[in-house]
Amino acid sequence: MSSTDQNSQASDLSTSPKISADADASADKQNTTHFGYKTIEKDDKISMVAGVFHSVAKQYDVMNDLMSFGIHRLWKRFTIDASGVRPGNKVLDLAGGTGDLTAKFSQLVGREGKVILADINSSMLNVGRDKLRDKGLVQNIEYVQANAEYLPFEENTFDIVTIAFGLRNVTDKDKALRSIYSVLKPGGRLLVLEFSKPEHELLNKAYDFYSFNILPKMGELVAKDGESYQYLAESIRMHPDQETLKTMMENAGFEQTTFKNLTGGVVALHKGYKF
Amino acid sequence: MSVSNNQALTQLNTQASTKVSDSLLLPQVATATIELIINKALALNNNKLVSFNAINQKTLTLKLAELTFPLSFTVNSTSSATAIIVRTHVESSDCTINTSINTLKKIKANQSLTLLIKQDELDVHGDIKLAQQFANIAQSLAIDWQSELARHLGDVPTHKLLQFGNKITKSISAAGKQIEADIGEYLVHEKRLVVTTSQIENFNQQTRDLASKVDSLSVRIDRLCSNIAEKSAKS
Repeated sequence: MSSTDQNSQASDLSTSPKISADADASADKQNTTHFGYKTIEKDDKISMVAGVFHSVAKQYDVMNDLMSFGIHRLWKRFTIDASGVRPGNKVLDLAGGTGDLTAKFSQLVGREGKVILADINSSMLNVGRDKLRDKGLVQNIEYVQANAEYLPFEENTFDIVTIAFGLRNVTDKDKALRSIYSVLKPGGRLLVLEFSKPEHELLNKAYDFYSFNILPKMGELVAKDGESYQYLAESIRMHPDQETLKTMMENAGFEQTTFKNLTGGVVALHKGYKF
Repeated sequence: MSVSNNQALTQLNTQASTKVSDSLLLPQVATATIELIINKALALNNNKLVSFNAINQKTLTLKLAELTFPLSFTVNSTSSATAIIVRTHVESSDCTINTSINTLKKIKANQSLTLLIKQDELDVHGDIKLAQQFANIAQSLAIDWQSELARHLGDVPTHKLLQFGNKITKSISAAGKQIEADIGEYLVHEKRLVVTTSQIENFNQQTRDLASKVDSLSVRIDRLCSNIAEKSAKS
């Protein structure tokens, strides 16, 4: 795809591209992947995504509250409710960022349980660790810098794995899902909270307008980084839709895979079990 | 037939309202608000004898008749702080209570759990001691609202505000008691004297029957009078 094509796609909201399983497979064959609307070498994606998150780490929580009008807290609360977490459970909060889910899981698994906050980005991990320590949450949390595609844990380790707003930034999502499947205990479950495709066309249009016109300006104003938030909007559009992600999870081995649309499908929570 | 239709309609309505509240994340809004209030109250508690050790990591679930979703309360107590986490769904709960908001008020008014269970106002599954411990802790919290408010508003405005609040509360309470007494009076005495619709209908029917009898009697009397008049004319 030429840069002219990319620009025209980015500006034409009504034809914003949505990744399909075929397109993803074709990108795999060519050893390329997506970075927003750009097609890049797979090896470059990690450093480019890292650049985005190093840049926004310190303002990440403020921007989340601003961009979602605080609704991200309810989406995360829904994820905790759906996780079925119990005292003594071992939980992996993958791409855990600033630790919103980890904080709650830590309180719910108790002293006998454990929560691993893992993120590929050291800046995000540092912000998360500082925030959780300030809240007095230290007893049962460990911090690991890890790539979701190559999880550094033994097989059958975790009761629950969550990845909230992280999967779309992973270079090879299929590989990451297989890696997650491997570290889950039999009976364990994966919860993927991620931006998705709105159910209604009108909402879709309003969401597109908001994402491409307001979000980058907000990012410029608050985090002094409009480009990273332009990437955010583009990466959301390039992320697999609800059904595609469900199929990807099933292909990775997950069973009883379901998804629940939240806020009209702006976000979806996928859930799958390893048996 | 109509009963089953009504049940189906009620079920459909419940499903529709559950779907709407789920899509708007209302259960999560509710749990976030309740959690915030409870933990704020815990932070302001002055009764240092309150201990959560016995119920640490225990979960109590409330299924209220008025809500379409359950409320689960999990205690997380560490040496530094205690927090209650409120969720709408848990896979296992140490104690589950099916009840209504009215019954909860009775628990607050020190009415015994056992008595409420006997009266079928509470349905408890699991460890009933846990429910009692939660209730005891809730009752033993001591919060000095006046001091807390004074920190933000100042002493004099707080005093005035509370004075005003007490006055309003007393007025509302007196009005409530008066309404309660009026309703009681009506139910115990006046309601018995009030004529029911069926009684009025019955009275109307009797009046109509009597009128009809009077009419026929009148016709008969007229006929007899005319017979008598004819006979006396002939003789």
